Amino acid sequence: MVENIKGHLHPITQIIHEIHGIFQDLDFAVADGPELEDEFYNFDALNIPADHPARDMQDTFWIKSGKLNHRSSDESINLVLRTHTSSVQIRYMQTHKPPIRIIVPGKVFRNEATDATHEAQFYQMEALYIDKNASLAHLKGVLETMFRKLFGNNVEIRFRPSFFSFVEPALEVDMKWKNKWLEMCGSGLVHPNVFKAVGIDPNEWQGFAFGFGLDRIAMLKFGIDDIRYLYNGDLRLVNQF
Amino acid sequence: MKISHNWLQKYFERPIPDARKLAELFTFHSFEIEGVEELKNEKGEVIDFVIDAKILPDRAHYCLSHRGIAGEVSVLTGEEIVIDSIVGKTLKVSTKIEPSINTVPAITIQNRDNNVNNNTNHNSNSDTRFCRRYIGRYVENISFGKTPEWMKKLLKAIGQRPISGIVDATNFCMFDIGQPLHAFDADKVKGGIVVRPAKKGEKIVLIDGIEICLTSDDSIIADNDGPIAIAGVKGGKRAEIDQSTKRVIIESANFEPTAVRRTSTKYGLRGESSKRYENEITPELTIQGMNNVCVLIQEMNPDAKFGPIVDEYPVKVKQTMIEIRLEYIEERLGVKVPLDQAKNILERMGIIVNVSIDEQAFVADTFPPTALSRSALLRPSPRSVDSIDCSSKNDWKLTIPFNRLDLTIHEDIVEEVGRIYGYEHIKGILLPKMEKPIEILPIYYLTEIIRDNLVKQGFSEVSLYTLVEKGDIETAKPLAKDKAFARKNLADGMMICLKKNALNADLLGLQTIKIFEVGKVFSNEGERYALSLGVAQVKKMKSIKSEQILADSLETLKKKTGLQSADSIIDLKIVTKGIQSVCEIDLEEVLKSAELSGYFDNASYNDLNYTPASSNRYKKISLYPFIVRDIAIFVPESIHVGNVWRSIEKGIENAGALKLLVRHSLFDTFKKDGKVSFAFRMVFQSMECTLTDAEINSIMEKIYEVIKDERWEVR
Repeated sequence: MVENIKGHLHPITQIIHEIHGIFQDLDFAVADGPELEDEFYNFDALNIPADHPARDMQDTFWIKSGKLNHRSSDESINLVLRTHTSSVQIRYMQTHKPPIRIIVPGKVFRNEATDATHEAQFYQMEALYIDKNASLAHLKGVLETMFRKLFGNNVEIRFRPSFFSFVEPALEVDMKWKNKWLEMCGSGLVHPNVFKAVGIDPNEWQGFAFGFGLDRIAMLKFGIDDIRYLYNGDLRLVNQF
Repeated sequence: MKISHNWLQKYFERPIPDARKLAELFTFHSFEIEGVEELKNEKGEVIDFVIDAKILPDRAHYCLSHRGIAGEVSVLTGEEIVIDSIVGKTLKVSTKIEPSINTVPAITIQNRDNNVNNNTNHNSNSDTRFCRRYIGRYVENISFGKTPEWMKKLLKAIGQRPISGIVDATNFCMFDIGQPLHAFDADKVKGGIVVRPAKKGEKIVLIDGIEICLTSDDSIIADNDGPIAIAGVKGGKRAEIDQSTKRVIIESANFEPTAVRRTSTKYGLRGESSKRYENEITPELTIQGMNNVCVLIQEMNPDAKFGPIVDEYPVKVKQTMIEIRLEYIEERLGVKVPLDQAKNILERMGIIVNVSIDEQAFVADTFPPTALSRSALLRPSPRSVDSIDCSSKNDWKLTIPFNRLDLTIHEDIVEEVGRIYGYEHIKGILLPKMEKPIEILPIYYLTEIIRDNLVKQGFSEVSLYTLVEKGDIETAKPLAKDKAFARKNLADGMMICLKKNALNADLLGLQTIKIFEVGKVFSNEGERYALSLGVAQVKKMKSIKSEQILADSLETLKKKTGLQSADSIIDLKIVTKGIQSVCEIDLEEVLKSAELSGYFDNASYNDLNYTPASSNRYKKISLYPFIVRDIAIFVPESIHVGNVWRSIEKGIENAGALKLLVRHSLFDTFKKDGKVSFAFRMVFQSMECTLTDAEINSIMEKIYEVIKDERWEVR
């Protein structure tokens, strides 16, 4: 007799489904991009030039120069395991005309030591909105909608000033849940240099973007205490959900 | 960046808010605060508070100094900064030392002709010359010098170790106003000072004794004999100041950020000096650095004699001008900002705001001037309804202070007004409805269809490591030897994962382990989506083998998802090792063939029917091994299985071990001679320790006792 029981979706997948549902209602499409990225998409087009301190803000896995680094021309390109899903913003804007509404779930990589709350690979969700009019009020509205649907209607959102190269103003987003303020998300209005990198006229179009870790959401929602369980294939975790 | 509250307070006449209040203000209006610490003296009395601020690249132009932070405090509180630098105030002297001798250092700047700057993303006005300004000054009659107590206290408060004299003075000025400084022993400098690119093969022995072999990418400070410092980074031993120094040349200079960063990173020499240069500071600060450090040097060496200042400043920087309308700021923020407040915020930052007026609306007397608005005379007429909201008619011309290198475009001004006015004023609004139908992403749609079917078939989803022991794509600085390559396939990881989970089958309550992964694999040809499936039939059963289960599952997958055209692709070789069977499918091929067959033609995300996320809360996984025990009991046919289990449970309870029972299941039932046998599998595990056989045996004893009381038979 072979057991006939249902399997379990990975907790991250369950969160992605929830978020997709929320954004589907807001008319957002899903976009995707490579995990092995050109330096251009991961950094330069996002207004993070070479030799700029902004590159210190993430620990990067650079790829050793090899066959893959010499594609069409003689010019060698630098490859990285992408440090954020923001690179897909650029790819999508290069191939789609505004208005744009996309979410991008994806695996990202950071070259840092692992512990209960840090892994070298994890999942992020990126959101990008480009339209004739985009303000921080729109951004706040979307964030409130999303966090309330994920964590309940009592959730509050607040902004704190920060810095990310590809947005200006740049804001950290905190969420108040179970009486505690938690850092959740980076966000801001799309920087004109990013628009210029993809050939969109910043005088005609405006946009906002935000990105957050899906593992963090899963750990909060499900109460998981060690991020490493999400990637070691242990059914003792997966089958709990 | 560590900030001493006492140091900050020196810039102000009236008391500024306490450290914790400042930290709160900074957090919501300026930057992230990592912590606030009390500083105590030997008696245990609190003498200062140290705020640790996380200054990110945008504010590092001006906030890596107490003067810069004081500027933020002034903007946030409205308190006016009463002095330009605490050097003067603390010593109650003017911040300029007049020369009393004629000796000057010869300064030559040799910048490269064409700069190696390979990035094009800096704004077009970025200066690619390495040295923008070099100020040198000769001082004689110096001794090593004694650092004044007030300076020692402040340096110690921010974690800097006072050494002595001139070194402390230069250090202090850097943390005070943000200008890095250096001093050379003038008698050890042969000839004049040249700022130039290093020649290939030139070497320098640094102050700490390490020798660096320079390349032509590096810029140095040199004399006739060669390098005496790596410009902006670190000084050399040859012209180092020591106990015997009598004459010095002070350097206050401004260097190109990316070059300093490249050089300092290359040799692992990043420090406080290079940090400030690499974040770019204004050349207008250079002269203040020189003046301040001279005041301090004189304080420590009253008999010192100063030469004239030599200031090589070939191209004076221009102030940035930005034209903006308040309406634009309000549009981007999504909130109305009172004109007075917006203007006041910018003015408190040292920005000169010139409001251009629609002259026909000008009426001077109708409005009384407000305390906040110094240009009250410029308020437009209240006569027409339009002019009450005067923002849209006013084009502001902003003159940006030199040190605010972060303010170059409109959006920067939006941020300045927004953060000081307060983001809490912004209320969220809904997005307009979009008319376009949403385009599906085929690969996403495909993988979700596959996931849904596999879960229905009893497969659980895993997400494994991309970085593994071998592959084509290698990372340059791997975290570990066995995690240096991007995986070439999913199957290897799946096989190991299956095996590990099979060991926990009893704990999981599974007879068969079925798992899958959707993920990317990497090779020299590129990256592709793949799907791996794994089956491990743990409970030995006659006609059920892992390989068969896997093959059947694949068939079902094809049938139920309609991916039958992907026949040849989905029928891949199944690899079996022991009880583990794994297969891997190239999803890019499946995607291609599905697209060709019109699979996505009428597809919509509404087809997907997501199950809501689980509402379960995570139960901690024990680090200790589990123990399995089976028990089979013969009971009269009339006895219900539930009663049998309840008795077993009673036994466990009597042993005080209910908490240790993590799983139980009925795995066999059969009837014989008017009796029925129920066989249960029990799994015991502790959260605190490894259970011993003895402990388990005593639980079993208690169970047997209860069974005996019921007059049932344990098999």
